[in-house]
Amino acid sequence: MYIKSKLSWNVVLPAENLDVKGLMLQKAIITRLMADFAAKKASKDLGYFLAVTTVASIGEGKVRQQSGDVLFPVDFSCITFKMLTGEVLEGIVHKILKHGIFLRCGPAESVYLSHQKMDDYQYVPGENPYFMNSKSSKIEKGVVVRFLVIGEKFIEAEKDFRAVVSLEGDYLGPIS
Amino acid sequence: MSGEEEENAAELKIPDEFLKAKCLMNCEVALILEHKYEQLQQMADDPMNQMSQVFEKSLQYVKRFSRYKNPDAVRQVREILSRYQLAEFELCVLGNLCPETVEEAIAMVPSIKTRGRAHDDEAIEKMLNDLSLIKKFE
Repeated sequence: MYIKSKLSWNVVLPAENLDVKGLMLQKAIITRLMADFAAKKASKDLGYFLAVTTVASIGEGKVRQQSGDVLFPVDFSCITFKMLTGEVLEGIVHKILKHGIFLRCGPAESVYLSHQKMDDYQYVPGENPYFMNSKSSKIEKGVVVRFLVIGEKFIEAEKDFRAVVSLEGDYLGPIS
Repeated sequence: MSGEEEENAAELKIPDEFLKAKCLMNCEVALILEHKYEQLQQMADDPMNQMSQVFEKSLQYVKRFSRYKNPDAVRQVREILSRYQLAEFELCVLGNLCPETVEEAIAMVPSIKTRGRAHDDEAIEKMLNDLSLIKKFE
């Protein structure tokens, strides 16, 4: 699910960026905020960090004794994306393995659908392997699949999520 | 899952951040990100540098998975769904997946049928009809 959140961060500007005044200073702060935001990439609670939408306020700068850098408290709104357990989502197949399928969903690329979680589908090997069930419904690379999220884990070191998903349920599966 | 109570979106047991925050449908996110992308192109000397991979992948995804493209239609979808006392989360799942039948809607968002909430099949049917009308006239 995509959500809009309000966050308060401290943005640190090096002293050499400060010889500019007024609007230029504001621009420098916002540019730095957006760079920090992109670098942060994701958090366990809010999910992936997509974009800063609006900056509500920029507080007064405080000089840091040691470095001379200036720290500005900034309140802003942003959009984040997180898959929730129990949520139904759609994704695109990007890798087919013997034991399951990897899907892409929004910014997440490690969405795993195990062959044990798609009942009647059988692996069909070949140059372009795919999964097929008795009703000839085919899951191959590039196909859109509707799935249920059964678990999710945040990998701190990579700032990335791994999700495990399932097709067990009504109205789940490949969409033509 | 860690946490006191196990997360389960099917029963609307989701973290507070998601229950209270404003959830967004794919089509709404697409409008916001596209606007943002245009802004970046205008203001930054180096737009590619400002655009994270997360941004890029999300933009691609929401563009492909938006059921409604026209900004007016997007606004109408939210307006119509808001009349049905749905949680933000439920509203967005319905708007994203556009179920065609009552049965499908309940399979996608089981919580709309629980806890004696005022959603009988008839109300859900009407809601789905309203949604498909927007699609038709977009």
